[in-house]
Amino acid sequence: MSLALTIGVLTAGGVYLLLDRTFLRVVLGFVVLSHAINLLLFAAGGANRRVEPLGSSLDPSTVADALPQAFVLTAIVIAFSITVYMLVLAITGEESESEEETS
Amino acid sequence: MSLIALVAAAGALMALTPVIVRLAGTRTGWVLAVALAGLTGWLVALWAQTPDLEQSVPWISAIDVSLRLRLDGLGLLFGVIVLGIGALVMLYSAAYVTEDRPYSFYTLMTLFAASMLVLVLADDLVVMFVAWEFTTLCSYLLILRSGPTARPPATRTLLVTAGGGLSLLAAVSLVIVTTGTTQLSVALADDAWTDQPAFATAVAVLVALAAFTKSAQFPFHAWLPDAMVAPAPVSAYLHAAAMVKAGIYLLLRFADSASNADVWPVLLVTVGVITTIMGGVFALQRTDVKELMAYSTVSQLGLLVAIIGVGGEYAMLAACLHVAAHALFKSAGFMYVGLVERRSGTRDIRELHGLGKAMPWTTAVVAAAMLSMAGIPPLMGFVSKELVLSSSVDAVDAVEAGVGIALLALVGISLAAVFTVAYSARVVVDSIGGEPMELRPVRGTVSMAVAMGVSAGAGVVLGAGVPLVDALIRPAAAAAGAVPEAEIDDLALWHGFNVPLLISVAIIAVGVLVVVQRRRVDRVLDRPLFPGTGVGAVEWLRTSVIAGGRRVGDLTRYDTPAAHLAVPIVLVAVVGLASLAVVAPDSLRPDADRPIDKALLLVIVVGMAVAVASATRLGAVVAVGITGFAVALWYYVLGAADVALTQLLVEILTVVIIVMVLRRLPRTFAARRTGHRIASGVAALTAGVAATIATLVLTGAEDIAPAGEYYLREAENETGGTNVVNTILVDFRALDTFGELVVLAIAGLAMAALLSARGRIGSAPPNIKHTALDDPEVNAVFLRTLAKVVVPLMIFGSAFALYRGHDAPGGGFISALIGAAAVCMIYLAAPSDRWTRRRLPYLVIAGAGVLLSAVVGLIGFVEGSYLRPIDLDPFGIKLSSALIFDLGVYLAVFGVILAAVTLIGGPDDDDPPEEADAQAEADTFVDPSTTADDPKEAAR
Repeated sequence: MSLALTIGVLTAGGVYLLLDRTFLRVVLGFVVLSHAINLLLFAAGGANRRVEPLGSSLDPSTVADALPQAFVLTAIVIAFSITVYMLVLAITGEESESEEETS
Repeated sequence: MSLIALVAAAGALMALTPVIVRLAGTRTGWVLAVALAGLTGWLVALWAQTPDLEQSVPWISAIDVSLRLRLDGLGLLFGVIVLGIGALVMLYSAAYVTEDRPYSFYTLMTLFAASMLVLVLADDLVVMFVAWEFTTLCSYLLILRSGPTARPPATRTLLVTAGGGLSLLAAVSLVIVTTGTTQLSVALADDAWTDQPAFATAVAVLVALAAFTKSAQFPFHAWLPDAMVAPAPVSAYLHAAAMVKAGIYLLLRFADSASNADVWPVLLVTVGVITTIMGGVFALQRTDVKELMAYSTVSQLGLLVAIIGVGGEYAMLAACLHVAAHALFKSAGFMYVGLVERRSGTRDIRELHGLGKAMPWTTAVVAAAMLSMAGIPPLMGFVSKELVLSSSVDAVDAVEAGVGIALLALVGISLAAVFTVAYSARVVVDSIGGEPMELRPVRGTVSMAVAMGVSAGAGVVLGAGVPLVDALIRPAAAAAGAVPEAEIDDLALWHGFNVPLLISVAIIAVGVLVVVQRRRVDRVLDRPLFPGTGVGAVEWLRTSVIAGGRRVGDLTRYDTPAAHLAVPIVLVAVVGLASLAVVAPDSLRPDADRPIDKALLLVIVVGMAVAVASATRLGAVVAVGITGFAVALWYYVLGAADVALTQLLVEILTVVIIVMVLRRLPRTFAARRTGHRIASGVAALTAGVAATIATLVLTGAEDIAPAGEYYLREAENETGGTNVVNTILVDFRALDTFGELVVLAIAGLAMAALLSARGRIGSAPPNIKHTALDDPEVNAVFLRTLAKVVVPLMIFGSAFALYRGHDAPGGGFISALIGAAAVCMIYLAAPSDRWTRRRLPYLVIAGAGVLLSAVVGLIGFVEGSYLRPIDLDPFGIKLSSALIFDLGVYLAVFGVILAAVTLIGGPDDDDPPEEADAQAEADTFVDPSTTADDPKEAAR
């Protein structure tokens, strides 16, 4: 239940930040939203089995699913590179684009 | 000697064409003419050896698609036309094309010839469709390359013919699904054509539509005259003899099966008759010889469509012979246009005069071609038109075929034939007499005249000598009519006094009358006959489709990301909530909680609340950072040490990079309007509730998924690694990881491109008030001292994590992040951001990573597949190629972060030339009297 609530809270916070006009908040919203989605992937694998998938002779009834973990690991790095790209967007071009509340 | 080899040879010729052009230059046309003539001979020899030869090479065996080729009568006829006329056109091009190295022209022309050959020989529906699309593309590119003015016509041509291609795709899919085979000959013989009228009707209409676009039938005719911006050889080959015949071929191929649908004859005859009459009238109206030829082609193709619609093996015989006759006289006609334009400088009928004296041979040759087109005895065009007329007359006699349709065909074809006589005459009659024109020298145009002479000469010889092509035409008619060849009549010039001859005489008589009265006819026709033009209609369609698309796009096109994003977010959230009403609440399956879970939830709630409420940028960044660390803990609690480590490192690096950005931005956020905040809040709340419920409903599986279980069970056996997550990344799903590396490298490239294209925004004034901590030099001393110890440790840790990643937490991603953190440490400890001036080759590093991973993947081929890890054992050290792959991952990730630090963390006066930069640095060493900072800078 806590995992689902965490996902909900992160989604709500991420969406709120994403809908701002200030570009930095949009970037932060993107970061938070990616947390929510990564945790959702974990939830898809199930949160009851929590033993690390390390070592030999693993017991599928207690060991966590490794597949979502692999997905999330790469997703984190990809999201990071996109975050950095968005940050470059924030400091290039016309100043007013990113900062001014135009209407 | 096989069909496959023949097709392969045609393909090889295309591949070799650039080499030939390179070696032979302007003489390429000769070489290719000989080559295509050789292929023609080969094709005929194959047929002579074994008629109805079938061969097949598996292609996509999973869906039973093969490169099936079959040489039947139809394939033979069209193959000979494609390759034979192709040879003549190449010969013609040798003189016509005067570019030094016409690579693209000859390559596209041979590619086109090869595609047409595959199209007419294909016995597989998918192969046929692919070849069909290839001819479309060749036509587009050949028109496009003829100059800047050719773009709109080329686009219109592509739109119409590619639209027809979609129709063919639909037909092909329908046939494959219904008959269960992709083999054309088997599918065409299927019972579905007779048992399922709806299927037969649908396919008949779709095939007819595809053929109409390709063969320029009303209302899709406009592209053909439009395409006349292409040079003469292209017009002669694609738009007269070969490509437009692809539609006719398709109709002939499907004629027997599709005629089971009642709509087939009605559709074909109606459209064909409208097209043939319309084309004839337009041709009579034009004064540009090339346009005249184009409309004449439209008209002749209409005649062919109509006669195929009439149906029966006799009509097929007429159609097949007329296809051949038309290919000969029309290619000669287009070659004449190019030649006369080259020598006289014009192709306007009103300006041409005295050609009878000025170029007697050429004029005689074109006159022969035009007489054949007009259907004057004893030329080939007469024989084919007689057959067309007599098969229509027969159809009228035979009540079963539907008298109305047959009568319409007969009347329409006869009427169009009158126009044909008239416009054929127009090409030559007025240009023969009068003062001889000033012409450019004949030199260099000989091969053009020869090619044209062969085309037109064949039309003369094959009038009386039409039995010579019996062996070519009758098998084709037999294949199209699906009857044994013995049931097809012999071809002959003279059939005795009969109704068709009478009609012919009447046609010629009326035609001559029109020619005699041509001044009066011209006056009647010298005005727009319709309020709009076909080209205008296509153009209108094109622009309105684009405008319509823009209007649809306008709905979500905003300047602010918020308005743009709100629509999908709210829609998804509402759909999610609505679906809860469908799903029973008892399907909610919350996972069992542990105490730590609630604590993490609490941290995240607090972090999000602060992030949302914070008025300062720094505050928001810190709050989001806290949330990120809590999420990393969540990963750890859920049993994912690797992921937690990754998240932790990414969180650190994110904060470092955001701080680099922060110094350029104002300290506080701009105020938000209350309405906007409330709206955002409602959207956020909806999305959050929807996400929670969706998680509860859709996830929380009790048992591990079969895929997950497989990895847990087999990871060590299959790869030798005991870190299952890492084995998935570098072994099982290495291709995915490789794709991600490419994304990373592209992100690095995009950052560099963005900065150089748009420039940085001006630096904001420093946010820090002047305090004792203000001087960065002094301030960073502690960090610098620390870094001396910590950075080597981090580099070592990074290498260690990379090495052990296969068996314990670590791996390419994590170790690269550690390495990058070391770089950030060095950056932060440096006395000023001028450090980034060193411009480490970040893109080279990232690119090298991608390249390394790609190359290592090749080793996998030793054991059968790309990226399969191989255990290497050099010098007794256990080493997997997966480790080298992981090193590629390392470099790509490291390169991108290095790019970010260098690009974002650099000083403001960026992009000075490298030399000036180095000079400036050198200056600081020798000149201590510049500014206060510089000696310290030098001291660094």
